[in-house]
Amino acid sequence: MNAPGTSRVARTGRRGEGGWPWLAAGGVALSLLMVTALLVLLASRGLGHFWPAALERVTLSDGEVIAGQLIRRIETRDGRHEWLYATANRDLDGRAWRWVDAGRIVDRDTPEELVRLERRRWGPFIGYLRAVEPSIADAGMSPSSAARWQALQDRLARTRALRERLSALRASTLEPLADEIAATDNPSPATLAAFAKARQRLVELQQALDGESLTLESADGRRLTLPLEEVLDAWRPNAMDPLAKLGAWGQRVWAFLSEGPRAANTGGGVWPAIFGTVLMVMLMSLVVTPFGVLAAVYLHEIAYQGRLTRLVRIAVRNLAGVPSIVYGVFGLGVFVYGIGGQLDQWLFSERLPSPTFGTGGLLWASLTLALLTLPVVIVATEEGLARIPDHQREGALALGATRYETLRRVVLPMTLPAMLTGVILAVARAAGEVAPLMLVGVVKLAPQLALDGQFPFLHLDGKFMHLGYHIYSLGFQGDDVESALPLVYATALLLVAVIVVLNLTAIFLRHHLRARHRALHR
Amino acid sequence: MGPPCCMLDIAPSASRRRRRQLRDRLASLVIRAAGTGVIAAVLAIGVFLVVEVLPLFAPARIDSPGPAAGPAMAASETIVGGVTLDADTLLTLTPDGRYRTRSLDGAPPGDWDRLPSALLAGQRVTGVVANDAALVLALAGGDVIRIPRGTDGGPEGARARRYALFAETRPAELALAGDSRRWWLAGRSEEGRVAVLRGGGQDDASREAAVRRFTVPQEAEHLALDGDGRLVLASGPRLAVWTLDGDRAQALGDIRALDGPDRRITALSYLAGGETLLVGDNRGQLRRWLDRHDGRAPLIAAPSDPAPLGEAISRLLPLPGKHAALALDAHGGLGLYQALSGRRWQGRAPSGEPLAWGVAGEERLWWLDEKGLQVRTVRAEHAAVTWRTLWQAQLYEGHTQPVQRWQAEVGGAGGESRFNLTPLAWGTLKAAGWALLFAVPLALAAAVHTAVYMPARLRNRVRPALELMEALPGVVIGFVAGLVIAPYVDRHLAGTLALALVVPLGLLLVGALWARLPARLQHRLPLGWAGLWLVPWLALLCAASLTLSPWLEATLFGGDLQGWLASELGLTYVTRNAMIVGVAMGFAVIPTIYALAEDALSGVPRALDEGARALGATRWQALWRVWLPAASPGLLSAVMIGAGRAVGETMIVLMATGNTALMSVSPFEGLRSIAANIAIELPEAAFGGTHYRVLLLSALVLFAFTFAVNTLAEVVRQRLQRRYRRLGGSR
Repeated sequence: MNAPGTSRVARTGRRGEGGWPWLAAGGVALSLLMVTALLVLLASRGLGHFWPAALERVTLSDGEVIAGQLIRRIETRDGRHEWLYATANRDLDGRAWRWVDAGRIVDRDTPEELVRLERRRWGPFIGYLRAVEPSIADAGMSPSSAARWQALQDRLARTRALRERLSALRASTLEPLADEIAATDNPSPATLAAFAKARQRLVELQQALDGESLTLESADGRRLTLPLEEVLDAWRPNAMDPLAKLGAWGQRVWAFLSEGPRAANTGGGVWPAIFGTVLMVMLMSLVVTPFGVLAAVYLHEIAYQGRLTRLVRIAVRNLAGVPSIVYGVFGLGVFVYGIGGQLDQWLFSERLPSPTFGTGGLLWASLTLALLTLPVVIVATEEGLARIPDHQREGALALGATRYETLRRVVLPMTLPAMLTGVILAVARAAGEVAPLMLVGVVKLAPQLALDGQFPFLHLDGKFMHLGYHIYSLGFQGDDVESALPLVYATALLLVAVIVVLNLTAIFLRHHLRARHRALHR
Repeated sequence: MGPPCCMLDIAPSASRRRRRQLRDRLASLVIRAAGTGVIAAVLAIGVFLVVEVLPLFAPARIDSPGPAAGPAMAASETIVGGVTLDADTLLTLTPDGRYRTRSLDGAPPGDWDRLPSALLAGQRVTGVVANDAALVLALAGGDVIRIPRGTDGGPEGARARRYALFAETRPAELALAGDSRRWWLAGRSEEGRVAVLRGGGQDDASREAAVRRFTVPQEAEHLALDGDGRLVLASGPRLAVWTLDGDRAQALGDIRALDGPDRRITALSYLAGGETLLVGDNRGQLRRWLDRHDGRAPLIAAPSDPAPLGEAISRLLPLPGKHAALALDAHGGLGLYQALSGRRWQGRAPSGEPLAWGVAGEERLWWLDEKGLQVRTVRAEHAAVTWRTLWQAQLYEGHTQPVQRWQAEVGGAGGESRFNLTPLAWGTLKAAGWALLFAVPLALAAAVHTAVYMPARLRNRVRPALELMEALPGVVIGFVAGLVIAPYVDRHLAGTLALALVVPLGLLLVGALWARLPARLQHRLPLGWAGLWLVPWLALLCAASLTLSPWLEATLFGGDLQGWLASELGLTYVTRNAMIVGVAMGFAVIPTIYALAEDALSGVPRALDEGARALGATRWQALWRVWLPAASPGLLSAVMIGAGRAVGETMIVLMATGNTALMSVSPFEGLRSIAANIAIELPEAAFGGTHYRVLLLSALVLFAFTFAVNTLAEVVRQRLQRRYRRLGGSR
């Protein structure tokens, strides 16, 4: 369309520019549509997973009965409709979900008695509650479904209280005593007695927990006895009103955020991953902030502004575009194998050949990401420095301040928002980066947090979990991707939310900064 | 901002001024040190990669580690041979059946020991060979003694057995193959007759009972055995291949291996792994032949090494655990050959002809001649890699023609790793290419619309929204692409492909309809806001196209588009394919390209636009004739930076493809990119090994490529900014 004739201009009038502008507008619209679709998908699937959705009892044409939550309906390429039910009960069926041909469904209903239990092992259970042992019923009368449910609720509350006391006892009494005993060669009899007493108490509590069990029945009539201890939570979604559902939803979201993973990461929460991500990013910003700012100050304020500095500046800018995996390679080669291996030989030679620092860990991951984000901080800080009008510096110098004083009292305070923007952008980038971490210490499941009560409290050599890697390992390395998928969505949503909030903060700060400097220049 | 006036209330005492100046100098020093340090650290990445990669290309060497180890042999000692026992000992034997160990580290030799005379039965020992499973002694009367080795590699004399191989004539050459479960021993007599022993069984007793002897009805000058019972006989210029699997030897074929009238084979040996046969001739030429298992010709010839040793090759010594061998020629020339990369070293042997030689441990060559024991270090750790083997097609074991293949872990002991970066580089470029094909039109269109048509108020909102897109982590995009979009597109292929047509047509339709609208409505739906109000329309189009997908497939492609693609176009469809990567990675690079392109466009001096418009051009004409030519370097640099990002993106490619290293153009097949390959394989690669260094080399390639592209883009961008300044633009 490089030769639109004048006649055409005349014909289509003032705004007549053919179809091209519309295609261009389509570029914006399509991009916005894709972002929106992605965010909506993540939000709906990620948050929807926690909603206690209705449990259906489905009767198939061959008489088979299944119970589960309808997850998805798809149309296959040969035109059949396949519905995906989350049927849970992995211990009974060997899988936790099932594709059902919609044409074979005879009947669907939502009986109120269907319960969904969260268990310690095997993932959730969906089915009926048949009995609570030891029976609460008065002799002879089998308790009604509602009474059984009530009994279960009471017992669960009691179990939860017991469990809390148990862990409190373990943490506050037993473990300090055990440490004390382990630390000395011949502990005092008083300590030993206290320890024995605490253990006795622990055993009693454990026994109180152990005695009770549930009898459950799956939709197709198979029975199962489950110790109450195994049950973490129970719902009857079909009997709940929306408000109760909202409560349960909040409860489950909180559990997701605050608990550790269960059942090979397909259940439970992501607390260790959140913790690992945050800790790693914090360590990283501790390193990257001072060094990034110093480098920027050097480049902009101190170095002679010649050809070399210009080249260095271009190089630093370009390093922001170097693939993150290359930084990972560097981290592995230099930090882990190079420095880490050397440290092991000097400090931890008694543990060799099993490496201490010579393997991926929190420290190396933080340093690698610090290197990766250095260009971001340098560029942002330099931009901030460049925006400060020279008359500010000149004013300070004219008043007799040394260069250092000018820098510290005038230039740096004014650059603060720019630095902050840089650091926030660096943090946002680091939080989403996974590829380099795969080389320098992130793991699927780290049972211990890197920060705890044991000396030296912060375990820099420890492996850690990361939200981004959690997504990858859940979705692509697990055995049962279909069961893990809801958690992947939720984790992805969480990660995106964190990063979006960080970026919005940076954008806001930058905007604010620009407005302020515009005022300064006048 | 603090008022910079604090000096006024300070009495300017000399000591104070000195302190301030000291502090100033100190701060400047710290900043200088930290600044240069940081910049050096960041730039060290390139240096590190180069330093780690260089050993790959270091030439192979055979050096003398110092004075010859071990004392000279006593004058009384006549030795028939020696074999490697472990990483630093070897075993030497005398004709009368005495043996002792010798250390390669210079420790004094062990005490003499003697083979039981019942086993020798008065015959003299004439030679010894060994492999991982056993030692075999040749006796002058034609018998052999096989001594199995224990799990630690030491010979277990108690299990030694004696077998008859030839009657009345001594074995002149022995070849040994197999492991402790199944083994073969082939011998050639002085006259050229060939006899074979085959042993094997489930347990020790049956293993020893089940040893069979058979003769091969063909005379030979040299022989070699591969790992699973193939016997290769050389006579003159010909190679004959026999299989020893059944009850008798069966001929598999006979090949003329050398052309020319007076050429003959002078040495023959299988390399470690037992799939590659190395053949040396009387002109010093070495040639590689690969076992072929498809029932046609038994061996495939690889191109011969272009650099002959010069003299007839007299002996070949395969290096354990490597696809390499040492070749000795008739005049004491020594060469190191690698199966793929050819001759890597040439020099002089310690002496003309050894009594025995071998390799102990990873890299110690020992050489036993009349004067004593000599040790050399063979440095050929990365001999398999040259620039040529990294990029060009190679004839690998198990293939019938040269291919470009990446396969670092090959099953089985002694499997040949395939380190060819071409498929990875191809996968990287393919993924980036499809991503750019998707992203460039969209991003440039969006940039044009934003810069030219959008009101400033909206622009200030839309830009950050699209910049947020850039912040979305690759792992999330990759997950959605791999687990959500890929299976969905698999089911709705027709509808998805139709989108490429439906969306532009739908937009043109809107344009056509809009031109017919009354002015009042046109005012309500201005083109400047179209980026927003087109969103629902596009959503509707997409939904319609995807809903109609089964119908489309049924009417146009007989209900099975994937089958149609396979039968009509020969394209196989894989769920996680290059098209999915293209869309997902395209999504990730759109914001990068968009932001830079929009910068370039909105930096075009207003005066140019105003001039064009004043002359009667429409906005689109002004754009096409004025804005775009002015901003084209900026757009180019935007695309280049986008390409740099697409080339290096790891997680999206890792998750949205099957990570199969293929060399296909088809958008419906998978790929494996350099970055994804590093993420998958580097954690498992042994530090300092060939695999590790080749992966680092691929990282260096990635680094160099992105760095070069980004630098070029940056230079172009800076030049553009200067041009705008000259033209009197706003920046």
